[in-house]
Amino acid sequence: MNEILSVSGVSAGYGPLRVLHDISLTIYRGERVGLVGLNGHGKSTLFRTITGLVDWQNGSIMLNGVQIGGQRTQGPGRMTHRIARQGVALMPQGDAMFIGLTVRQHLDAGAFTRKAWSERHKRRERILDIFPPLRNLLGQPVGKLSGGERRMVTLGRGLMGDVKLYLVDEPSLGLAPKISRAVIDALINVDLADGAMVIAEQNLQLLEGCVDRLIGMHGGEIKGSVDTLSLHSEVG
Amino acid sequence: MDMFTLMSGLQLTCIYGILAIGVSIIWSSLGMLNLAHGFTFAASGYGAWWAATTFSKSAWVVFGAGISTGALIGIVIYFVAFLYIHDRPNYPIRALIATMAINLIGVQTLMWVFGPRMKPLPKVFGSGVMKLGDVIMTYGQMGTVVCSVGVLGALLIWLGFSRRGLEIRAVMQNPEGAALVGISLRTTALWVMALTGALAGLAAILLSQTFYVSPYAGLQPLIKGLIVALLGGLGSIGGAMIGAVIIGFAEAMTAAYLGGQYVLMVQFGMIIVILLLRPRGIAGLLDEAREE
Repeated sequence: MNEILSVSGVSAGYGPLRVLHDISLTIYRGERVGLVGLNGHGKSTLFRTITGLVDWQNGSIMLNGVQIGGQRTQGPGRMTHRIARQGVALMPQGDAMFIGLTVRQHLDAGAFTRKAWSERHKRRERILDIFPPLRNLLGQPVGKLSGGERRMVTLGRGLMGDVKLYLVDEPSLGLAPKISRAVIDALINVDLADGAMVIAEQNLQLLEGCVDRLIGMHGGEIKGSVDTLSLHSEVG
Repeated sequence: MDMFTLMSGLQLTCIYGILAIGVSIIWSSLGMLNLAHGFTFAASGYGAWWAATTFSKSAWVVFGAGISTGALIGIVIYFVAFLYIHDRPNYPIRALIATMAINLIGVQTLMWVFGPRMKPLPKVFGSGVMKLGDVIMTYGQMGTVVCSVGVLGALLIWLGFSRRGLEIRAVMQNPEGAALVGISLRTTALWVMALTGALAGLAAILLSQTFYVSPYAGLQPLIKGLIVALLGGLGSIGGAMIGAVIIGFAEAMTAAYLGGQYVLMVQFGMIIVILLLRPRGIAGLLDEAREE
């Protein structure tokens, strides 16, 4: 079994609004995938569907061969914590932050398994090595940080758990080019172990050479997938 | 301000603080303005009274019975007014109506079962006075202050350092973000309701050292708890504590210098003025970071 996530025939939306139309895609172990597409074409909704945050969905979403999505529709977010505990880390757009918690508490919040919680000091050190600027901010409330620092906290929080599938939503959104470069580099250096990472991004140049495969989305549908090699040859 | 006023102000501060923190935590983590908190309070008093008359008048039995009754009622409220309706539209309004109904039904049930006559609780701290310099305190006042400060301190430490406490605070700040880090809203809510119920039970025993247990005993403390929570800024524990100090002393001083009939008037006047000036209550002054 080499695929970690397989989505087939998924439609999803909010209330009467249908955002995703019959999406099918597969993510394999050990790969980094770029999900590209314009604003408002369903990238974030796809992530929110996988984590169970949309109002309704149907179709099948298998994570490691276990059904995590699909037929049954309950209130939005009701299954999200279970999906997260199965190893899906969504690093959301806009950073879904706990404004009043300090950076340290924030990172600790990401260590939700018993094992991760007992190892939280060690893991926190690892995050601080990836994002050195956070070291001096550990006691600060997250609401006081700048956009770039917040993004680091969000990513760091995702890295604290035992994650199999990272879903990173627009890591460069609202950041200065230099900082977004650093954020992407940090993502590329994450050790995936036997997991996988999907990065939704509008800025194709940032992803160039960093991901194994690109998937295009348009109008709530998947519009094909290319590996970066062929992308280069088309561009070049 | 004479010593008697100071002492009763301190005592009221502690009791209101415990209640207001409960109201405040429930509101910000569950989105429920718990109007049944007063019923939890009254029922805990009866639980303690029942245990004291049936088993023993020892302090441990009284406290144990009161606090566990409170936690139990909290869990009942969780099942009735949270679990099945929390993801429906307009949940805060539904919860308001549901908890109000629980309060009315509960109070009438207490009246039906135990009758309208007031019941005294045993003096768990013993009766007598103690002198610290020229300050004279009854054991009841002393015990109330020590007990509430101890419990609230322990609560703050627990909220700050344990995993469960972190989960509660995360849910208070951002339920969706909490779900994304594997925190279950429903499990956390169960803990919150049991915990705040237990706090209401503790407050009931402390207040019953001075007043009697009666079916309507919860009404005044509920109103005071809501006032303090509003004044402190709903959702802020620090704000609720400061609010409790202000309201507790305002009550003691109004009663001493103006007369008991003006107490509620002065308190509501104060929160209207403070909320006009600081719409987010005292918490607006405490927060270092603004929400987006």
